[in-house]
Amino acid sequence: MTKETQHIPPDAYPQMVSKSDAVKISRVLRSSEAVERGARAIQEASEHLREGVRDYVRELEEAIGDHEITAGKAHEIRGFAETAGLRATGRIANGLCRYFEEMRKFGAQPDPAVITLHVSAIVRAANAEDEASRMSDVVAKELAALVAHKLAETKTGLPANSD
Amino acid sequence: MSGSAFEVLRVLIVEDNQHMRSLLRTLLNSIGIREIQEAGNGATALEMLREKPCDLVLSDLAMKPMDGIDFSREIRQSPRSANPFMPIIMITGHTEKQRVEMARDAGVTEFLAKPITPQSLFSRIAQIVEHPRPFVRCDTYFGPDRRRKTLDHYPGPWRRHDDLRDLHVP
Repeated sequence: MTKETQHIPPDAYPQMVSKSDAVKISRVLRSSEAVERGARAIQEASEHLREGVRDYVRELEEAIGDHEITAGKAHEIRGFAETAGLRATGRIANGLCRYFEEMRKFGAQPDPAVITLHVSAIVRAANAEDEASRMSDVVAKELAALVAHKLAETKTGLPANSD
Repeated sequence: MSGSAFEVLRVLIVEDNQHMRSLLRTLLNSIGIREIQEAGNGATALEMLREKPCDLVLSDLAMKPMDGIDFSREIRQSPRSANPFMPIIMITGHTEKQRVEMARDAGVTEFLAKPITPQSLFSRIAQIVEHPRPFVRCDTYFGPDRRRKTLDHYPGPWRRHDDLRDLHVP
């Protein structure tokens, strides 16, 4: 229990911008024009960003076998694949991250087959000409179902019903 | 767009992923922010801040050798901190509650979840500009007030000596 708590109101410490600039900045940031401008900027940089995702995907492939590095690379891919326009890649990476996180919580070893399936799906999705293809979305859904199934198995310690 | 207010803003991006740094820079540039520094981890960022102060920090959570949590704690608590009141937006893909709570307790101002969109980034900055948070200093914490709202009928427990000061008891 603290002896005394000091409250410092916003007026009592230096602010990021003056009050008059805050109004101007806020108006711009909340405008649809700013959002559109930002979206255009991302669009223009998207090829560069996709190359960045693919660099991480190559590193992910090389990391198979080392769970910590694999999880780290999947985390990076999940972080910006979708922003780079590689939506399915991001979704599959998200599924893999979730699998690692849940298995860590259970204190269980991840199944290498689940990891390999995810990694190969990420590789295919990231390098597909038409990334938004239905195939990638279907694969993402199927892998999400596989992860749910595997987690249920781990939780109960029994093989889950494979319906 | 009126760019003058943005042109004076100095932003530091702390992120180990070079492409993510590039994405954030692109978005900040798109609204007219020009003074942007980049650091690959918390330790480098602290050194940069001692050389050149900034007005806003966008920091990743998971970095090595110093992650976003330790970096935020240093900004808030170190006697060598250039500005302990600096707004910090923590960018994270981590959904684990524990990590987010640790970052909050280190004094983070706002959170921004990946994947980032222009709208999500701009609205976090707007939030900081529109509603600067009061700060709290006690034995165990220094940073933005972690209580976002006051509940009219909150029954307690009251933990601060002045919690009851402004209550109007009939």
